[in-house]
Amino acid sequence: MSRTMLFVQRELAGSLRARWFLAYSAVFLAGGLLLATFGMGDITVYGFRGFAKAFTGLVHLALLFVPLMALFPAAAAIAEDRESGALEYVLAQPVTFGEVYAGKLGGVSLAVLLSMTLGFGAAGAVAVLRGVPPGLVAILYAFVVLLALVFVALGLCFSTIAGSRARAVTFGILVWLVLVALGTLGVMVAFVRWGLPEQLLVTWSFLNPVEAFRMGVVSALDADLSLLGPVGARVAARFGAAGTATLSGLSLAAWVALPGLIGWRLFRAHG
Amino acid sequence: MIQVGGLTKRFGMHLILDRLDLSVTKGERVALLGLNGAGKTTLMRCLLGLIPFDGSLSIAGQDVRANGREARARLGYVPQRAPHFDGSFAEMIEFFTRLRGVEPAAVESRLESLGLAPAEHGEKPVRALSGGMLQKVLLALALGADVPLLLLDEPTANLDPRARREFLRALQSVDHDTTILLASHRFADVQAVADRLLVLHGGRIAFDGSVATLRDRVGDAVTLWVKVPTDVRERARQHLESLALPAVLSNGSAIGVRVDHAARADVLVELRQRAIPVEDFWTEVPSLQDLLENVLGLGERS
Repeated sequence: MSRTMLFVQRELAGSLRARWFLAYSAVFLAGGLLLATFGMGDITVYGFRGFAKAFTGLVHLALLFVPLMALFPAAAAIAEDRESGALEYVLAQPVTFGEVYAGKLGGVSLAVLLSMTLGFGAAGAVAVLRGVPPGLVAILYAFVVLLALVFVALGLCFSTIAGSRARAVTFGILVWLVLVALGTLGVMVAFVRWGLPEQLLVTWSFLNPVEAFRMGVVSALDADLSLLGPVGARVAARFGAAGTATLSGLSLAAWVALPGLIGWRLFRAHG
Repeated sequence: MIQVGGLTKRFGMHLILDRLDLSVTKGERVALLGLNGAGKTTLMRCLLGLIPFDGSLSIAGQDVRANGREARARLGYVPQRAPHFDGSFAEMIEFFTRLRGVEPAAVESRLESLGLAPAEHGEKPVRALSGGMLQKVLLALALGADVPLLLLDEPTANLDPRARREFLRALQSVDHDTTILLASHRFADVQAVADRLLVLHGGRIAFDGSVATLRDRVGDAVTLWVKVPTDVRERARQHLESLALPAVLSNGSAIGVRVDHAARADVLVELRQRAIPVEDFWTEVPSLQDLLENVLGLGERS
């Protein structure tokens, strides 16, 4: 087994041992199951509209839980080891900085994805049994995976920069709150207040990973993105459903790659 | 074993290591001494390749900057603060033996020789181990890897006296071919382990030699303590000062003066001639701390 895989294994085991992580996973699982079981039940009474509402509920559940579930273990991964002295000891072994960083990234990602898969797998299975198209569930799952990886990469980057785990976590949560606050609604306020150009609003919607996730998922459900209000309608009119999903996916992929690379470079430079 | 050339390290505006040159040969036991902030830990971190530096550094022929992993494969490291690990004692041993590609049996036999039977402690969480036990585990991991160099960064700093004695005993039993570089504040540790002293000061090596050489450099001075009756103590002190003997010290009931070892009796004779009765006397050989302060020009203890 390679050294990187050893670190992946250790990180995975560490994350899965953490009580708060298990608690989050359980709540996510329970929330997903509740929404899928009772929310999707509307389909038989109200038709498509009720199903869409429940589905967007699942999207918002993911937006609430997935970033935090990813941020906590990722922000702890390097900062906590640095605080305890374990990082220095590990780096004093015959390993490269790259192996350690890749191992931590891989281990935390696997732990988070495992938890996501458990929560979403159960909710998705119930949803499919209640008539939701499997393709839709698969698209939602794919975007949830991307969103989780974005916040793993961000958390690890903050973990590299911050002097302590607490700082890394705080910084991560602040960034998440800012991204949520500066979602479509926040930018629309600015748009109306200061008369910002429409292009800026659309660009920001793709640049903000939280918005990109929302648009990507909703585009699969609602081709004209009317669920996302006027901004969604504008984006849908301009790029179409497939274009919106693709651009959203690319934006999220970039949000995985950039913090991941920045964190890696900082880690290599400063340990 | 260790070759250092022009090693320079700055943290912002602070110059920590200033064009340091150093060579340590196989089997040498070297103690790295210096006051707080002298650069001992920084030098260790450079040797481990943990921080960027200017200059050249190689371990067992491996360039630390270019082949860091290969260089680190040739050394074992015991830090000052035992790191915290998730999981059990057995899991920790398994992780690091696999990481280093070492046979677990080699580490287990070292653990047993250090009084830590894996069968007894295997399932204990690492956080339940005492600092002394954990330092021994780290030493066993380093020794089990059969490396030619041990880097020890104040390994006994957080140990109680008993754990410290056990750790030093274990260190003294290390194979003579193994090179040891020990950074320490504790002179008892240094004297127990090292045959060569390196004193870091101002980012450079202020002294490089044996303990005996250090003593030679400082001279043959000892501190002579005399105990005199309270009513004549002040007169005795004034008389000793008038003899221009360096550093008249007082520890409450006794007066101490620095004299050459051979001149001890002269002081006692002088006091007797002045009708100052001496109730007791003893000499004190300067400690390594005194020698170090002397080398660094930090003045006399008062």
